[in-house]
Amino acid sequence: MLLAGGQGSRLGVLTSQVAKPAVSFGGKYRIIDFVLSNCANSGISSVGVLTQYRPYLLHNYLGTGEAWNLDERGGGVAILPPYATQTGGSWYAGTADAITQNLGYLEMQDPEYVLILSGDQLYRMDYEDMLATHKANNADLTVAVMPVPWEDAPRFGIMNCREDGSIEEFEEKPKEPKSNLASMGIYIFTADVLFKALREDAEKEGSSHDFGGDIIPTLLAEGKRLYTYQFKAYWRDVGTVASFHEANMELLGSEPAFDLYAQDAPIMSNSSTRPPAFIGPKGSVDDSLVDNGCTILGQVEHSVISADVYVGKNAIVKDSILFPGARVEAGAVVINAIMAERSVVEAGATFGAADEDTVTLGDDAVVKKGDE
Amino acid sequence: MPKAIGLITCNYTTSSKDDVFLGRPVASMPFLGRYRLVDFPLSNMVNAGIRNVGMIMPNNYRSLVDHVGSGKDWNLDRKNGGLFIMPGTAFGTSRTGARFLIRDLVQNREFLTKNHERYVVLSTANFICNVDIRALIAKHEASGAHITVLCKKASCDGNIDVVTFEAEDGRVKSMRQGVKFGEEAFLDYAIIERELLLELLDAFAAVDHLDLFEALNSEYGRFRVMIAEFDGYMKPIFDKASYFQANIDLLDADVLDELTPSGRHILTKAHDNPPAKYEPGAKVSNALVSSGDRIFGSVQSSVLGRNVVVEAGASVRHSVIMQGVVVKAGAQIENAIIDKNNVVPAGTELRGTDGDILYLKKN
Repeated sequence: MLLAGGQGSRLGVLTSQVAKPAVSFGGKYRIIDFVLSNCANSGISSVGVLTQYRPYLLHNYLGTGEAWNLDERGGGVAILPPYATQTGGSWYAGTADAITQNLGYLEMQDPEYVLILSGDQLYRMDYEDMLATHKANNADLTVAVMPVPWEDAPRFGIMNCREDGSIEEFEEKPKEPKSNLASMGIYIFTADVLFKALREDAEKEGSSHDFGGDIIPTLLAEGKRLYTYQFKAYWRDVGTVASFHEANMELLGSEPAFDLYAQDAPIMSNSSTRPPAFIGPKGSVDDSLVDNGCTILGQVEHSVISADVYVGKNAIVKDSILFPGARVEAGAVVINAIMAERSVVEAGATFGAADEDTVTLGDDAVVKKGDE
Repeated sequence: MPKAIGLITCNYTTSSKDDVFLGRPVASMPFLGRYRLVDFPLSNMVNAGIRNVGMIMPNNYRSLVDHVGSGKDWNLDRKNGGLFIMPGTAFGTSRTGARFLIRDLVQNREFLTKNHERYVVLSTANFICNVDIRALIAKHEASGAHITVLCKKASCDGNIDVVTFEAEDGRVKSMRQGVKFGEEAFLDYAIIERELLLELLDAFAAVDHLDLFEALNSEYGRFRVMIAEFDGYMKPIFDKASYFQANIDLLDADVLDELTPSGRHILTKAHDNPPAKYEPGAKVSNALVSSGDRIFGSVQSSVLGRNVVVEAGASVRHSVIMQGVVVKAGAQIENAIIDKNNVVPAGTELRGTDGDILYLKKN
């Protein structure tokens, strides 16, 4: 069950038109590609995607799930937006409530285990391995955790564990953390434990219907078998403009923190077929990613360039991220910026500056010369 | 949705002895980094709304079937209609000139009888061009012709593989093989009524070793075969030189735009390659770079296929590098076509000349 309904409001104009999981990333992908590819590469063939905020582009992009080999009979991708019943309908009120409202889908699938995922994180994980840990521990719930720097721990849900990996205590954003193992928001539940917990939580007065805030503390109090699964590789929650920018930049360089080129677990995407990128006679590209369909007549340096981007003559693009169809016209300068889909920086205009915060331009927005 | 089905004859090679074409059908020849030549007729048909396309296969069809699969990437995985893989009669034929052998069409008569659309669009895979087939059908209907053939005035002499039509006021009088400057070169795209094609196949049963337009040579007085002029970018691919030049031609944003305009994209098999990665210090100019490429060295005036690696200190100039090639550190490549999956060892020099492009065969 993939939670993809979040707005991602801290990404500002980048999510004014699309849900956060559908935001362009890494030149060719949308954020949700990473989790969907993990599912496909882990042999999971039934994925329910819970959508709510601005779902059109996301629904369209997911399609039948074919791009991730998830178009299977009897399984595959099921898109699960809020719906109405005889007693009315309501929006998803929390992460747990979203699953509760779709218990019907889950019961139809009749699984032994349910994996709960977020659609807005970047990492490669073999969920099969996490499930093996879950089974070996005979656990009711396994929470994926990763060590974070101690100074960052107060921003996360922190798991205090015993030596065997079982969870002793859960603290949401503790001021004085006793552990630096942060919950990644990735859970494997034994199905009947999940169903019972959700039904009880739904009836509970004052519950915020959240996995971290309500379900996990309740299960702990009930003495259920809660275990952690330690993950040590690359993981990013691209919640803010700064972290989104940084995660894109981490794809660059000769030894990138996240290697898109790793062969064993390819990141799949619903890509368009466009011709190869054209680098013009006076164009130059250095330390960057450039997808198909681009026309680069100017200079691109240390940037991530998505499909069908145009960079005009004598234009400069540096330390920036350009989403599909963005245009930097002749002589324009774009530095330390994120340009969303089809946005334009007109000829001679300047957008962004090296020593300031990263600036963002929304879908279809235009920066004219003199605007800056 | 036009009332048409498509038929692409993919079982012809060329008269050229250039080893670029040895061992592979022209239709599955990689082109411009990520395409294969058959993508052009397939996309032209699909972009006109045609959802029923038959491909007549050569004997060595593995690469072609691997490429088109179920036709999914061209929206041809249909419940009704879709992509039909069909046998040819003369396996491995290397006739020059005409490419619509009557025997091949008769063999696949069923494809023509079990569909009920009014027209058949015929094509081969030798011509690089983006044709608006919808407009071509409209023109065919407006002219009242029996057959409409797409032509362009030849810009140079001597291509023995291309067919020429002699015409008066746009009406074909005769056809012959080989084309000279200024003559009407046949681009191997034709529109014909399905019922008429079936009648012709019956009528020409005794001469089924001929090409359809060859057999018509005695009948051009009876049938109105009209020429439609094509005015976009077009390149016939029949030998190493034209193959190389067609790639290089597209190192021009305007030509590239003309060949792959928005709204009539050339579709091809999708791959899950990451975007091309330019490492610190890479020098790339006047180049077409495909996804999955990693460039550490220098690339100029060249076309790179998918998943090509150009290592540090290596240089690629005025060359066509097909998919999966690794150019090791310090290697120098100039005026060359490097076929698929070659590893060019460190420090090697591979140089052809403008007039004689070096070719390194598929590994």
